[in-house]
Amino acid sequence: MALVEIQNLTYQYPVTEKPALKDINLQIEEGEFVAVIGPNESGKSTLSYAVSGFVPHFFRGDIQGTIKVDGLHSRESSLNEWVLHVGLAFQNPFNQISGSKFTVFEEIAFGLENIGVTREEMKKRVHEIMEMTGISELGDRSPYALSGGQQQRVALASILVMEPKVLVLDEPTSQLDPIGTRQVFQVIKEMSARGMTVLLTEHKIEWIAEFADRVVALLEGKIIAQGPPHRVLTSPSLREQGFGFSRYTAVAEKAREQGLWPQDRRLPVTLDEAVDGFTRGFDEN
Amino acid sequence: MTTELTFYIDRDSQLHRLNPLTKLVMVFTFIMLAFLGPGFWLPTFLILGAIIPLSLLGKIQREYFQATRRLLLPVVGFLFVMQSVFHPDDSRVLFQLWFLDVSVGSVRYAYLTASRIFVMVSSFILLLLTTHPSILMSDLTRRGLSGSFAYVITSTLQILPQMRAKANTIIDAQRSRGLDTEGGYRQRVRALLPLVGPLVFGSLVEVEERAIAIEARAFTSPLPKSFLHDIPDTRFDKTARWTCVFLILVALGANLWL
Repeated sequence: MALVEIQNLTYQYPVTEKPALKDINLQIEEGEFVAVIGPNESGKSTLSYAVSGFVPHFFRGDIQGTIKVDGLHSRESSLNEWVLHVGLAFQNPFNQISGSKFTVFEEIAFGLENIGVTREEMKKRVHEIMEMTGISELGDRSPYALSGGQQQRVALASILVMEPKVLVLDEPTSQLDPIGTRQVFQVIKEMSARGMTVLLTEHKIEWIAEFADRVVALLEGKIIAQGPPHRVLTSPSLREQGFGFSRYTAVAEKAREQGLWPQDRRLPVTLDEAVDGFTRGFDEN
Repeated sequence: MTTELTFYIDRDSQLHRLNPLTKLVMVFTFIMLAFLGPGFWLPTFLILGAIIPLSLLGKIQREYFQATRRLLLPVVGFLFVMQSVFHPDDSRVLFQLWFLDVSVGSVRYAYLTASRIFVMVSSFILLLLTTHPSILMSDLTRRGLSGSFAYVITSTLQILPQMRAKANTIIDAQRSRGLDTEGGYRQRVRALLPLVGPLVFGSLVEVEERAIAIEARAFTSPLPKSFLHDIPDTRFDKTARWTCVFLILVALGANLWL
């Protein structure tokens, strides 16, 4: 059985006119990395909240269909149980800092204090996770006196330290500069390599192409396409519906019109593929 | 820019090592003794005989005197003058200030009030200088204080400076769009609205996100909590606390019987 199983999910926030998610069916296998793309208001965040239990437990509202994660059933379990299985990190690093802790080390330990992990175990796990997320040297700093990229890694570490089975990331880099983005993606990549199941919503297509096993395209609350990254990210029909190409895909497409991109070669999504395709093209000339 | 609102001075001293609850009980005891205890000179005695020696013990006497001088003396001085002048009293008049009589009784009353306030505030300063708020709160939570209440206290200490920083950003942003924030009183009041709006509504949005963030870390979990910091609670701490309780009872008794 899949680790995450969403069946016929339709969900509407309280006091809104139309559903944010419509008839969603999605399975995620253990260890799989699924990326969700879609324009603003397409339901990406709502889907993240649904997998992490905040829909419907935190937001209330109307829900039809079922969400099952790691043996939990949305109707039968509480948010407190849910958060032990699924970790959620989102856009704004500043708002994810608890605000009740004065150092980074205490901040990361906060979740473990709440579930009664013993002191020795707590310290061990916090040290390990700080090393893994590359913030070991920040332990004594105030969580507010950090750059955005550092703060977001503290937020990630604070979630990862609780050892969830599934990691849900809702545009974790949208408020970060390129350096911060790279640092955060390095952590995500590392987690995925260690076998963590990841659901990521993201606008930065180049990064998705590098990591994701599968890409899901959302539009107006519906899944309109899903499949391997290349197929979804270079799909002309999705582009017509407003999904952008990565800049490498866009350049190669223009080049193909000019005869500069090999006709038999698929369009690239990442920099490496683009470089590869273009140099091969020149070789043939 | 300061990122947090704490007075805490990190030093190694016997006062620092005392259990936070013991220190809190001591503060409470000083206040009770000063306000309920018998004798005109008791608050003065507490200041000279207990609070100042404790600041020496805590190795924070310099910061303590600095804080009392800047925070407390102006207030207490003002209080003393006002009470001396305006407290109604029929006793012997010391001297006349313009048309106001300053009598022996009103000066005595003013001195007592001022010294009591001095005890109250300066013993709190002592507590805050030697106890980190997160240590105090986690000790109290361990003893059964509601986690949400402790959260409200510690997060306020952290978030207030953040809000001040944000308010400054908003002021700069509005100024750059031509908002006039200087000038006369009316001008300033008018300029307040475009500043308060973004600050308040922005904060409301933040509250929801922060609630999600702490829920995601099992803040409201029914599981028993544990604590990162080991906060020692020695036999000496317990004895000190019971001594404090005893002193309060003595003061109460003296107040009732004497």
